[in-house]
Amino acid sequence: MERRELLKLVALTALSPKVNVLQAAAACHMDASPAKPDPAQYILQFFSEDEGRLLDRLMEIIIPADSHSPGAHAAKTNLFADLMVATSDDSVKKQWQDGLRLIREEAARSSLAKALRKAAVNEGNPQTDLETFFALLKQMTVDGYYTSETAIHQDMEYLGNTYLAAFPGCTHPEHQD
Amino acid sequence: MRKERLSQGEIFDVCIIGSGAAGGVMAKELCEGGAKVVMLEAGREVNPVELLSHKWPYELPYRGLRGEKQATFYQGDISKSIAYADSDDVGVDRVRILGGRTMHWNAVTLRYAARDFKEWSTQGVEEDWPLTYEELEPYYDRIEQIIGVCGNDDHLEILPAGKHYLPPIPWRCSEHILKRATTAMGIPLIAVRKAVLTRPYDKRPPCHYCGHCMDGCDVASIFSTPDCLLPKARVTGNFTLRENALAREILVDNEGLPQAVSFVDTATRTEQQVKAGIIVVCCSTVESARLLLNSRSPRHPGGLANSSGVVGHYLHGHLGNSVSMYLDELQGKKPFNQDGATDHVYIPRYNHLSGKSNVAGGWGMQINYQSYMFPQNAHRVPGYGASFKQQVRKMQPGYLQMGSFAKVTAHQQNCVTVDPGRLDANGIPTPVVHFRFSDNDRVLWQAANQSMLEMLSHLKGRVFPSLGKAPSGFASHEVGTIRMGKYPRTSVLNSYCQARDVKNLFVTDGSCFTTSSEKNPTLTIMALSMRAADYIKDQRRKGEL
Repeated sequence: MERRELLKLVALTALSPKVNVLQAAAACHMDASPAKPDPAQYILQFFSEDEGRLLDRLMEIIIPADSHSPGAHAAKTNLFADLMVATSDDSVKKQWQDGLRLIREEAARSSLAKALRKAAVNEGNPQTDLETFFALLKQMTVDGYYTSETAIHQDMEYLGNTYLAAFPGCTHPEHQD
Repeated sequence: MRKERLSQGEIFDVCIIGSGAAGGVMAKELCEGGAKVVMLEAGREVNPVELLSHKWPYELPYRGLRGEKQATFYQGDISKSIAYADSDDVGVDRVRILGGRTMHWNAVTLRYAARDFKEWSTQGVEEDWPLTYEELEPYYDRIEQIIGVCGNDDHLEILPAGKHYLPPIPWRCSEHILKRATTAMGIPLIAVRKAVLTRPYDKRPPCHYCGHCMDGCDVASIFSTPDCLLPKARVTGNFTLRENALAREILVDNEGLPQAVSFVDTATRTEQQVKAGIIVVCCSTVESARLLLNSRSPRHPGGLANSSGVVGHYLHGHLGNSVSMYLDELQGKKPFNQDGATDHVYIPRYNHLSGKSNVAGGWGMQINYQSYMFPQNAHRVPGYGASFKQQVRKMQPGYLQMGSFAKVTAHQQNCVTVDPGRLDANGIPTPVVHFRFSDNDRVLWQAANQSMLEMLSHLKGRVFPSLGKAPSGFASHEVGTIRMGKYPRTSVLNSYCQARDVKNLFVTDGSCFTTSSEKNPTLTIMALSMRAADYIKDQRRKGEL
């Protein structure tokens, strides 16, 4: 928020000497701990370089760039996945390594796109290890993409998490009782 | 708030254990009544600048997916130091922070109705409370005016109202559309009542509608004890606060009367004591029972004030479920800021309107109380690729979410015990929850689920239920383990939250509830606390305490 807007908001309110709205509101823009993760500085902690690249390609197929917004590749969703898996239990790590191996083997027989299509065929009710891995992969892609700066601001054009002096409410005549 | 040093040998008039909704009310009222009060709080104060409520997910180590934003509410080992045995799917959401759950809540504040105090008289189940709505009404009035509540008087017998509410929050498009469904079913949809300021009040600013209520309000627009009640206690000069003070047990004299509280200073890892003439326990339902059960002595072999054997028993809370829907007529719209103050509307109980029923209790529904930032539909829409991505984006403006909170019946066998073989990080026996839903609970759960789906069937859009196969609880609304009651054999407290066994012990948090209705309990906790505070002040004036 622009500082002058915040000051206008503050001027509209009665302030307790113990509650400094200006300080509290502005503090949200301060880089307080924890430090903001920087994708440019990130080094793979769990996946190999090959696995990282494979993940990147898979995730970009799941959520691709289009005319509206970048996809999972631009959002570096594969690096998010690496962090989450690297900091999970051994059982989770094994699921991912086994899953990537299955996808790679399937892709070697056809193509990556066809391998993913095969993995997704029973999405609602996975039957095979490959299908179970697809569910895991899609969930990670969704979690990583839609919490990224790219998705929140460019794809979803989310306008919240801000300061409103008043909530406008719905004024559309077609929605009123 | 500065740290207070306790003088050696100082004896306070009152020691309050816990700084949440109940403790905050007690502190303000008793200090203003002239009592010298010490408050022990297991957690510490969190400065508003420490709250991460406005942080973007990508500014957090794990994008907020591992609870980073809420970590500050769960200090120490509070999350790990509890166990569940022989239990259905329930969870007790204990927090540890100055202010308790008033730092981490959606602030929905609902009065109990007259019938909610009379389950036996009206439904033939459980027991009646030892007090009536009429006796509690003046305290609801006082509390609402102190904390600031927005909403309306909707003239509903099932949801009584005060006369001094702040302006209600404007409704979203999805809520106006929902009204078509509720009207078709003959059900009220009303402006929610919340302890959220919609105009300046009590020297606190109004809400700025960022949608982060549950992540902690960094501007004090949501009622919390540290922002609203503790300052009023402090200004009297009678208030002493000890943070990082985890109560271990309440110590009694030779007559069995409480005289001191032994606590662990978790910052210095030292054992300390504080003496007081009156002890008020406000630790939250499970923690309060834990404290009394851990306070054994020759006079109280089963735990303090537990000659009835009831302490720890009758644990119950709410069960709930949720459904989300993406309304056709809002899909594809240009994105607009829907965050608001989470819930803006509420559906009060309505199943009683259709006449006598063979199931006790009902449910209320909260609407749109989750964040709009993450598109939840992305986890439910099948497929992948460009069409998936476009579908997720198109659907998001149509998001409508509702959750039911239903009554759970109180039964003696549902309880909290303590396990002396399992100690927390400070060497205190940890609580063990034993809980099973009753047949009535399961029937009510099914009925609430069906009603939610029926309601949404009146609207056009895509429905994603999250109903599960069995009920789950407690939605942070657990109550009942040190209940008040008419009958000594099934209660611990009288209607003033005073222990029958020991007259200088009071328990005023949710544990004192005789039964639970479908309504969120916090406002009733505060009203009961205020009534108990008035009683203590009166008894002190008369020299009885």
